[in-house]
Amino acid sequence: MTAPAIAAARLSRRFGQIPALRDVDLRLERGERLALFGANGAGKTTLIRILGLGLKPDSGSLSIDGLDSKRRALEARARIGWLAHASLLYDDLTARQNLEFWGRLYAVEGVKARAERLLDELGLAGYADESVSILSRGLLQRLSLARALIHEPALLLLDEPFTGLDPDAADALRQRLTAIHSARTSLILATHRIEDGLALTDRWIMLTRGRIRASGLSTETDPRAVKEAYRAHGRPA
Amino acid sequence: MRRVGFLRATWIVAWKDLQLEWRTFDVLSSSVVFSVVVLLVFQFAMGGGPGRQLAAEALVPGVLWLAIGFSSVGGIARSMDAERRGDTLAGLFRAPIDRAAIYTGKLIGNAVRLALLELILVPLAVVFFNAAPGQAWWELVFVLALCSFGLCALGTLFSAIVSRVGRGEALLSTLLLPAASPLLLAGVTMTGALFRGETLASVGRWLGLATGFGLLYFFVALATFEFVLEE
Amino acid sequence: MNRSARPLGGLLLVSTLVAMPFALWSALLYAPTEQTMGAVQRIFYFHVPAAVVAYLAVAILLGSSIVYLYKRDLAWDDLSKAATEVCLFFCTLVLITGPIWAKPAWGTWWTWEARLISTLVLEILLVAALMVRRYADNRDLGARLAAILGITIAADVYVVHKAVEWWRGMHPQVFRAGEKESLEPKMRLALLVCMLATTLLCMLLIWLRYRTARIETRTEGLRLRDRDEGDDR
Repeated sequence: MTAPAIAAARLSRRFGQIPALRDVDLRLERGERLALFGANGAGKTTLIRILGLGLKPDSGSLSIDGLDSKRRALEARARIGWLAHASLLYDDLTARQNLEFWGRLYAVEGVKARAERLLDELGLAGYADESVSILSRGLLQRLSLARALIHEPALLLLDEPFTGLDPDAADALRQRLTAIHSARTSLILATHRIEDGLALTDRWIMLTRGRIRASGLSTETDPRAVKEAYRAHGRPA
Repeated sequence: MRRVGFLRATWIVAWKDLQLEWRTFDVLSSSVVFSVVVLLVFQFAMGGGPGRQLAAEALVPGVLWLAIGFSSVGGIARSMDAERRGDTLAGLFRAPIDRAAIYTGKLIGNAVRLALLELILVPLAVVFFNAAPGQAWWELVFVLALCSFGLCALGTLFSAIVSRVGRGEALLSTLLLPAASPLLLAGVTMTGALFRGETLASVGRWLGLATGFGLLYFFVALATFEFVLEE
Repeated sequence: MNRSARPLGGLLLVSTLVAMPFALWSALLYAPTEQTMGAVQRIFYFHVPAAVVAYLAVAILLGSSIVYLYKRDLAWDDLSKAATEVCLFFCTLVLITGPIWAKPAWGTWWTWEARLISTLVLEILLVAALMVRRYADNRDLGARLAAILGITIAADVYVVHKAVEWWRGMHPQVFRAGEKESLEPKMRLALLVCMLATTLLCMLLIWLRYRTARIETRTEGLRLRDRDEGDDR
């Protein structure tokens, strides 16, 4: 019986005195893919940051791959790959140097070979020894994805990864996300792009004012229904 | 599950910083230029005329530590700034490493840069002001190393705090220079003693102060760095 | 909290109101005029207590900063804020009364001696700490960073003081004349009374500022909760 990728119960978090997340329960099985919808300020980013172990909840329990987030935090962190709108890359290092740096931090064995292979797989081999600052947004996103995957994480978290991508780059990202899907890698995608969210996941949930208000199976859900849910539960404009 | 230990994580972070510096020379070049300017301006302000004869030995320690103090702020601030552009600090925070290793890694990066700066600055000061610490060069190196370590220990912590609120050099210098004034006093006093041909033993308690200062803030930073990076 | 705090506040208010006139009387009338410096020397009775009390406020800041980091209860951060601002007030007092006393008494506006320098350093650091609080994105972050700064500043001021004392050891002692000489019993008494009154004043100010900060914090909390719940179906 493999442990679930995520087992979270009663997660709550406030910033100062603003409640961002209230009593959220979540369970994600190994290999499952989940879309996270919600208006701005609904708690999407807070939730995904807590699940990514970048933020501590005020209360509640969380385990990643069966590892308790408090007692076995370091091991849990090693299982997570993170992709957000920030690149998490050093502009003045080369693509290769960036990957090797992060790979070393994540204790990746044979890091140079692995970096080489990832650069190849993601079509970045030509830029391997160029400074990251010259990369376009689309290529930068690809390199950020490589960074997120360098240590073969069991759980991949994506916080609005399509932001700022032109249609071509968005296509490319979509393809790669579909390609890396496997029984061993679980995925959570927080996004405003409902079609993409539904196409790339198995099920979805929607957050409003820090709580889960709606959910469903991605294949059985019409995008319009999700948009309707946004309107019904979202904050008044 | 293989994991990176504290020392290795420190080294990985430090090496990355040095790699960055090597590729851009950003911090070192601006620091060197700035401190040369300080030496120059000081020469204009104090030198020339009867004032000049009056103990270059008295002036040089002060000017030296003035230049070091101000240039170090710029370097330390920019080092932490480099982590803002790609939000790499958040990446470091999520890595499966002891977060205090981020502090020690950046501390080493800052210390090495400062050491390189001093390697250029001190001979320059000796030449410009025609003053030298007699035979006590190794003692001078020791004093420089000791006080620079303290400066970097506190400066790295403060630069993280300042970076979290989106500010840079101006706020960092407002925090660091007054707070590190005991260190600067110690540096000036000890350097002055060496230039006058006295032994370090005669200003022994300043050695104790500088050491204590460095160690105190090193451990305060180790204990609190994670809280600075949190969230 | 409200019920038990009121007697404390009331006690502080009354005792301060009683002590201050005493202090003024003892400093301005009771204490004999100093021979060499004349009437202006009387500022000493406010200058010295203000400096001591500033350090007392720093000690409070240190304590509340440490507790906040453990408990993460914003009430402790409110106390830190109050201690910081009141300390700033007394530091400013020291830095103003110092030159006012020094110029007529010794012919120089400023002197580089331990207490003045460490007070100046303290003043600058506290202002920087307040700036960090203000620039922080949210309350929690600001409180946490301010707490770490509070601990660092408290430790630092002591070190600065010692360092400058040692440093000044090589230079002629200009000041401290008013203190190092043995004080006449009447002067000593006046100083003691002023010390007590100023301490009470400091406690009162911190308490008042703390109460205001608590109200601000609670109001902000209510406002945000209200805005949120109002939208809930």
